[in-house]
Amino acid sequence: MRRALTLVVSGLVAALLGILALGGLSAAATATDEEAATEAKNVSEAAKRNGKQDPYAPEVYGNR
Amino acid sequence: MVDRPADVGTPRRWARDTLPLYAAAVTVTVLVLAPLAAPGYALLYDMVFVPRQPLTWDLVAPAQSLPRAVPMDALVSLVTQFVPGWLVQRSVLVGAVLLAAVGAGRLVPTDRRAVRLFAAVAYAWTPYLAERLLIGQWGLLLAYAALPWLVRAALDLRAGRPGALARVVLAAAPAAITPTGGLIALGVVVLLVPQRRIPGRPLTRPVLLSAKRAREMKYAVAGLTLLNAPWVVAALVTGAGGSSDPAGVAAFAARAENWAGPLVALAGTGGIWNAQATPGSRGAPLVPLATLVLLVLAGVGVGLLRRRLPAGTTLRLGVLAGAGYLLAALGVLPGGDAVLRWAVVHLPGAGLLRDGQKFLAPYALLLVVCAALGAERLVNRIDREVAGVVLAGLLLLPVAVLPDLAFGGAGRVRPVSYPAEWRTVAGIIEEEPGEVLSLPLNAYRAYPWNSGRVVLDPAPRYLPGTVLTDDTLRVGDVAVAGENPRVREMRRAMAEDRPVWTTGVRWVLVQHQVSGDLPAGTLDGLALIHQGPFLSLYRNPTIVPGPEASGPARLAVVVALGVALLVVMTAIFSALHRRATAW
Repeated sequence: MRRALTLVVSGLVAALLGILALGGLSAAATATDEEAATEAKNVSEAAKRNGKQDPYAPEVYGNR
Repeated sequence: MVDRPADVGTPRRWARDTLPLYAAAVTVTVLVLAPLAAPGYALLYDMVFVPRQPLTWDLVAPAQSLPRAVPMDALVSLVTQFVPGWLVQRSVLVGAVLLAAVGAGRLVPTDRRAVRLFAAVAYAWTPYLAERLLIGQWGLLLAYAALPWLVRAALDLRAGRPGALARVVLAAAPAAITPTGGLIALGVVVLLVPQRRIPGRPLTRPVLLSAKRAREMKYAVAGLTLLNAPWVVAALVTGAGGSSDPAGVAAFAARAENWAGPLVALAGTGGIWNAQATPGSRGAPLVPLATLVLLVLAGVGVGLLRRRLPAGTTLRLGVLAGAGYLLAALGVLPGGDAVLRWAVVHLPGAGLLRDGQKFLAPYALLLVVCAALGAERLVNRIDREVAGVVLAGLLLLPVAVLPDLAFGGAGRVRPVSYPAEWRTVAGIIEEEPGEVLSLPLNAYRAYPWNSGRVVLDPAPRYLPGTVLTDDTLRVGDVAVAGENPRVREMRRAMAEDRPVWTTGVRWVLVQHQVSGDLPAGTLDGLALIHQGPFLSLYRNPTIVPGPEASGPARLAVVVALGVALLVVMTAIFSALHRRATAW
């Protein structure tokens, strides 16, 4: 009984990790330049709204 | 690190043990770097490759700036005289990920194949690798990849295995192409190789053998010192001075990636200062839980490591990893930031410690090796079927926690082609060499032809001669001052609305479609030579073209570089003259 329970729980956890990994890989594989540009634009606009420096302004090495 | 079984090297054993490891490493490499199958150059933050990097004095031995890319730039310049830059870029990136995975897998002292596979995947799929890839610091990735091979060679040398000295030098060589990597490699050898001598022992054969071993250990330390010599000599002779702006300590300190704070981010091998170089998945609230799982596994595995390695070795590896973690965390520890601020101003070269997260590599390696052995202990206690499921889950854990490392950080590492006029401009300058000023004065650019990705100005690596670009680093609202006195002179002239021809620069390159304005009158008195959609090139008619002066200081750097290359060549010949080894 204990062995079966361990197998089921570890199987479920492994399956969950598998789904997360495969889902994440699919999302990463289908990421396009347009999506990246949209995301960057959203981040830039949010920074401007909050009165912060645009992290994607090219003269900025990066933002913390 | 473990004694080799009798059938080592046989095709059957190779197919059973080694092939799956290489297959896993290739799979990980393909997953991470798949976008590099497309033609062009991946240009992202500090990663700049060009078709043929000129072999200029300023790239070999920068006279006015700190030697952050010495001897890396010189080697790239040398290699791209024969091999195109796109191929060099792919070779180093593919080599870094592949060798990191294989090296970690082989380092784990175990006979269980799945444990090696876990170590390989976990070491090649770390936040450290992801973040340093996304900030474009490929030299550091080479050091990261070389580390498991170097540790293995250092332990072999300590054990007196033949050919280990050459392997130590060869494994350290890729690490030493950057100052940080060179220091990490030196730390590994200094900590792992020396062995205590027992006083009063009679002169028996083992003692005589240990005398030979002691000599080899000294050679190893000397070899590593010589590999570090190019950047050390360049730092001693540069006109940029040895101190850095203390504002960089806070700007480049480790950063919290989620609710758990910077120390936990570092414990999970992440925590780079730059939010834009951090994969989005690192912000997930469950990431600290995955870090905890790894730490618990590592804690479980450390006893096994201690039992399977020679006495004292685990402690030395722990000291190395601990020192790396401490350096990474120093900027966020109470009082640590003050110590660092003092150091970068008063201790020459201490600016290297500002971005401390890069020193986490030895910690990442020990964490992965111990976690792999922890997994082995765990599965030894459970049934075979359950063990298989648990190991499969553990293999998936690094990918599940950090899926956006795949496909070049979800498309961030994606090749593009330079506009043709870059080659035209390089050709014009090559005919009349001279100092080039790249305007607008910004260190980083976001080109429309590079999908707006931020990248270090490629001009110093694309154009022949000394190219002056801004060396002020802007992190958010903080400006971390650079060290180049010549760039300061340019900035002063522009601030005073003086034309730049008065500074004595030969060429002025103006890049269009990038942010930044030119003060009025900057280009007065210059002759327009090339005008294109992305670049304009102006010549200063008052300056006579001439070859760049070398000078004894720069020659000293070349001599140090030559000596380092000689050390590597000697190690290669020594390794080739021995019989084939397992690696």
